[in-house]
Amino acid sequence: MRLFVVTSCLFLLINNVSFAATNGSCKTLSPITFAILPFVSTKQLVIRFTPLVNYLSHHLDADIRIETAPNFSEFTHRTVETNRYDILFTAPHFFPQAHDAGYQLIASVDSPGMRALIVVPKNSNIKNLNDLKGKRLATASANSLATLLVKKHLTEHNINPDKDLTLITTPTHDASLLSTYHNITDASALMQPPYAAASKQVRDNMRILAKTHRAPHIPLSVSKRISKACANEISTHLINMKTTKEGKQVLKHNRFSGFQKVNLEKYEHFKHAILDK
Amino acid sequence: MPKSIPLLQSLRCRLIVSVVIIEIVMLSILVWNNISIIKTTHSDRLKDTANSMLQQIANTSGSYMVAVDYASLEDYLKNVIDYRELVYLAILDRDDNLVISMGPFPDKHRPSIDSDPTKTDDKIFDIAKDITVADQPMGKVLVGFSLSLMQDAINKSRIRGISIAALEIILTIIVTIVIGLGLTRRLALLSNAAAQVEAGNYSVSIPTDTCDEVGKTAMAFNQMVAEVSNRTQLLQQAESRASTLLKENRQLIHNSLQIQELERKHLARELHDELGQCLTAIQADAELIKDLSTNDKRIETSATAIMDVSSRVYDVVHSMMHRLRPGILDNLGLVEALKDEINAWNSRNIDSHCELNYSGELTELDEHTNITLYRIVQECLTNISKHARANKVNIQLDNNGTEVSLNVSDDGLGFNINNTTQGLGLIGMRERVASLNGTLLLESSPTQGTSIKITVPLI
Repeated sequence: MRLFVVTSCLFLLINNVSFAATNGSCKTLSPITFAILPFVSTKQLVIRFTPLVNYLSHHLDADIRIETAPNFSEFTHRTVETNRYDILFTAPHFFPQAHDAGYQLIASVDSPGMRALIVVPKNSNIKNLNDLKGKRLATASANSLATLLVKKHLTEHNINPDKDLTLITTPTHDASLLSTYHNITDASALMQPPYAAASKQVRDNMRILAKTHRAPHIPLSVSKRISKACANEISTHLINMKTTKEGKQVLKHNRFSGFQKVNLEKYEHFKHAILDK
Repeated sequence: MPKSIPLLQSLRCRLIVSVVIIEIVMLSILVWNNISIIKTTHSDRLKDTANSMLQQIANTSGSYMVAVDYASLEDYLKNVIDYRELVYLAILDRDDNLVISMGPFPDKHRPSIDSDPTKTDDKIFDIAKDITVADQPMGKVLVGFSLSLMQDAINKSRIRGISIAALEIILTIIVTIVIGLGLTRRLALLSNAAAQVEAGNYSVSIPTDTCDEVGKTAMAFNQMVAEVSNRTQLLQQAESRASTLLKENRQLIHNSLQIQELERKHLARELHDELGQCLTAIQADAELIKDLSTNDKRIETSATAIMDVSSRVYDVVHSMMHRLRPGILDNLGLVEALKDEINAWNSRNIDSHCELNYSGELTELDEHTNITLYRIVQECLTNISKHARANKVNIQLDNNGTEVSLNVSDDGLGFNINNTTQGLGLIGMRERVASLNGTLLLESSPTQGTSIKITVPLI
């Protein structure tokens, strides 16, 4: 009987200690940087991701701060070379490099994947992909996911993106879309989510010319500095967001259906399918 | 000439000092007020500039801070730091760690933030603003503005204001002195002219070449002097006429008195020579008739009655002769005549006693002096017996060789000289003395008796 009581107490004590360590594991790492790929303007990034970051800060009881970089190259450089960021929200085609640099996948946006679009003005004479030849195609940047997907898509349709048309690089997806809207360029290549987030007036005056294959949705990963316990805690809170009212509101703000557990192989496969070619 | 005016009472001095003091006070207030406004304006300008610049830096820095793009931020700030009033510029991150600083930013001893450029504890206006992006804090910007340019501008304005004020004060002093001198010079002319008029010079005239207040005053003064001169001349003429009339009147009185005495003397002689002789003849005839009327008692009685009546008439005539002209005065001199008069007065006034004392040579006085002094004593004694109720009367008559003095005093009731109108008797005495070029002094007061002192020069 005495042995049973002592064993029970020890079990409870160990259990509590373990629970405490798991729950407060991120707080000791504060401040934690939440890095977002600069796929839209800095201000738009902050507006869009502040609720998510605040949600995590609140539930992890840690100071989490949004951070980005001036451009994709710098973002990738900081990720790969300096491991500057603690939580990484980057494009799927940049993740493999990050993973090689030590970032561990903890979740991804719960969605079948992202498509890139080629849009033209509604009254444009461009009716099919062949009509793009000799035209100006606006892209976010040379190494953006949209550019990669569109290039692959054009290639699959026997159009050489580097010869048959002129790629015009713009700072962001929004800039790419607006350049076409204002007839500065003939067509615009951008990801579907930014297009969906564009104003109705712009979308009503545009026409989708083509949709690419899906790419895996944005992965979330953590750096080596983040402990396993903290990584688990972050992952748990992200995945459970769609189950709470507060979490749903944040997801709605971000236009995400939620977060899910994801297999690393999915991104490895995407790497081989897109990047290695 | 008028007395010199003390400096503090001088109109000129007070005018200049007053104007200068008012000028200094008012201009000091004006300069102080201007400097205050300039200070406030510069301060507000610097505050607005600083806040505007701070807002701009904070807005621009936000994106760089989120992107941790410090190189671009530094490039941007390099353009900003060129602003001439900017001393330092610093960007702090969310943990207050210094990210970028330009200029001498005291990172170890960070400056306290100022709310107003005029209330800094050093020469730098330190302000700060949070850097936010979409209301999310990203850091802080600190900016220090030099106050030296503002202070230089204020100092220049102060020096300019004080210089203008000083120039205005100097000009005011000059103008005030010029106007004051012009004004007071003409007032001094007025003052000098008034002094000359006071001294009797009515020929003075002030220039009236201006139509201002002083010019009009000068014109009025000239008119007043002319009027005073005219009236003074009339008054002098009237005085002269009155003096002549008085002299003539006095001469007339003297002549009248002289004629009166001559007439009295003549009348007395006539009475003596004519009426006296007749009465003596009547009395002699009456005695003869009495002697011849031995048988007739009625004749004897009538002769005796005639003798008595003639004797009484003689006494009356003798008395009249004495009053008209005391023969003793001409025969025995003044002293004896006075003694005779005093004896007669003592016999008539048994309650009083009059006493005569005399000294010096009194027998050689001329007839006019004798009769004058005699009549004065006669008048004095008459007045004493009428009004004084005196117990004792003393008459002192002296001749010291150059003048004869007569003093008649009593211990009677006396009277107030100021409240009493002079009677004809006293007036007559004065005129008699005046006819001898002598002086008469009357002294009296209630219950203290009366004294009349007469002095007559002999030369």
